[in-house]
Amino acid sequence: MSAHPLVALERATFSYPGAARPALADVTFAVAAGEVVVVTGAAGAGASTLLLVATGFAPRVVGGTLSGTRRTAARRCGVVFARPWTQLTGLCSTVRDEVAFGPASLGLPRDEVLAAAARALDRLGIAHLADREPAHLSGGELQRVVVAAALALGPEVLALDDPAAELDPEAADALYAALPGLASAGTAVLLATPDLERAAGVATRAVEMRDGRIVAEGAPARVLAGTAVARLARAAGCPAPWPVDVAALLVRADMGRGR
Amino acid sequence: MTVRPLSLRDLVLIRLGVAVNLVIGQIVAALLLPVYLDSVGTILVAALVGPRAAIAAGLVSQVLAAVLSGNFTWLPFGLVQIVIALYAAGAARLGLFRRIATAVPAGVGMGFVAASCSAPISYFVFGGVTAGGVTVVTTVLRALGAPLSVAVASASYSTDLLDKAIACALVSVVLRSLPRTLAARFPALAR
Amino acid sequence: MIGYIPGRSPLHRAHPYTTLALATGLLLGAFALTRPAEVWLLVAAAAVYAAVGGVLRSSARTALLLSLPIWALLFVVHGLLGPEPRAAVGPVAVSTAGVERALVLGGRITAIVLGFLTALSTASPHRLVEAMSARGVPFGRTFLLASTLTVLPRMRERAAQILEAQQCRGLRLGGSPLARLRALGPLALPLVLGALAEVDEQVLALDARGAAGGGRRTPLDPPPDSPAQRVLRWSVLALVVAAYTWKFWRLRG
Repeated sequence: MSAHPLVALERATFSYPGAARPALADVTFAVAAGEVVVVTGAAGAGASTLLLVATGFAPRVVGGTLSGTRRTAARRCGVVFARPWTQLTGLCSTVRDEVAFGPASLGLPRDEVLAAAARALDRLGIAHLADREPAHLSGGELQRVVVAAALALGPEVLALDDPAAELDPEAADALYAALPGLASAGTAVLLATPDLERAAGVATRAVEMRDGRIVAEGAPARVLAGTAVARLARAAGCPAPWPVDVAALLVRADMGRGR
Repeated sequence: MTVRPLSLRDLVLIRLGVAVNLVIGQIVAALLLPVYLDSVGTILVAALVGPRAAIAAGLVSQVLAAVLSGNFTWLPFGLVQIVIALYAAGAARLGLFRRIATAVPAGVGMGFVAASCSAPISYFVFGGVTAGGVTVVTTVLRALGAPLSVAVASASYSTDLLDKAIACALVSVVLRSLPRTLAARFPALAR
Repeated sequence: MIGYIPGRSPLHRAHPYTTLALATGLLLGAFALTRPAEVWLLVAAAAVYAAVGGVLRSSARTALLLSLPIWALLFVVHGLLGPEPRAAVGPVAVSTAGVERALVLGGRITAIVLGFLTALSTASPHRLVEAMSARGVPFGRTFLLASTLTVLPRMRERAAQILEAQQCRGLRLGGSPLARLRALGPLALPLVLGALAEVDEQVLALDARGAAGGGRRTPLDPPPDSPAQRVLRWSVLALVVAAYTWKFWRLRG
């Protein structure tokens, strides 16, 4: 990991309003530009919360209390959730307008706004959808519009919380395939997902969480192979490739990248 | 009560209230209940956020209902929505939505107040005719010989009392059904 | 049909504020006029407005459909059951004062509905939103009016799905009034609670896109305005004020 993290959390403990236990307990975590960090764990383990705290949306937008320190060099962070529909502004009748909403809200000049939107659409490979109405798109297309809309603001850190949960397999593959490209352009990508197979194909680092704490962190091969899913598969004596034999998958993924 | 501008969260909740107001009629129609329940969203927003947000929810609902149905005669009744919003916020402040036993009487009171506002509007602006169930009741009473003002008033009151009582009871159930962590996100509830 | 109908009429090309000003003028003017002749002159003006927008036939047809029940009720409440004196029309004795009142009230409603249907048919919501943000209308107002219309179809769909799902689980929609009232809970609760559970995500998504900024949003495609249209809008206001002044003058005199 680079010596210049974009976001660094030190001994961070975070509790949602009215919650009995903290959602994050004594977490030390950092992410740098160009990384794709996959955060995994059971439901309620704190993966989504880690993303929200790291990007600064918690506690500012969702409330709650945060102790410990958060240092950030990022001017702007973006976030993408699982359900495409809830993330549309509802104000825009074309995809281009939806993607341009962010830069337009900053009051940037019109040309800059349209240029930023066009760049974001290109990066997600959906420039051909620019004049379509969001209401008429499929889930997969819509989710890519949402990611483009988040990217249009030029965030240094982009958090994706289970982004392919509602997508069919082809759309999910397309979405995950776009992530390494974002990272190589300098964005730090944080990805919370239970989809270990797809995550293993794109991650540069993996973090496993349990009960709000980080229990494992490091190279994806090691961390993901140690997760409950992988252990269960091995204990059941299942052969590769499915259920996922993560180590074998990573070897395959590496070979694929080398192509 | 501090007066701060409406936050993004307030706006999303108001939008939710408006959507509930406009959609719950589908359910009511399927059940063939003789009410509209078109203020449930307004009352909910009053309890979750406060009076200003509830007024916004009521007014926007009125405008959009008119736009969607083409029945623009409903627009002047926006005044009634303001009254409902303020009453609901007051009732929420007094904790009347915590139990159905207190919510229903609060709803009856709200229906009385709402009818007292809508009857004059209906009478002066439209001579008592705006189309809808209320007008049918008015017509029947008129045919029976009642003076127009009395007919309009009786029609408004009977439907409003039932409508608002059910609406308040429903909001009370919703608030009690909120999971604890979700309820904690609405500071207005704690009061 | 209610809703935007694409077209190239002067109203379509006009600034949305102009279209709305004319419809609002009809609405306010309708209540200032109290005699049948005046009100029906206004209805004629509304028809001209619709014709300029190229939507006279569709708007008139929809307005007629919407106002027929009201006309029927007006006739019954005021015409048949109105005060003395009465005149004989065939086998029926109608109240002359009542009929006059019915004509005024009915004419008002017709003019208003026709005016707003025309406005709806010729001003696209998208252009209106662009016009509003170009004029610096706070984000909250445009958001509430426009994005609610966008979330409605999904909410309606969800309500229909809940209706089906609960029926599959054995919920009966018919029965005594009390049974039907009790069925309200299992149908309305999931709808409202489900919507409430999405609020956090929606707020986060909007916040992440800078909607909370408070600054002025750059309009991408603002509808063009012109001095002539501005004059027209102010004239409508002046006419409405004049109409009300005349009304109160007549009431006093």
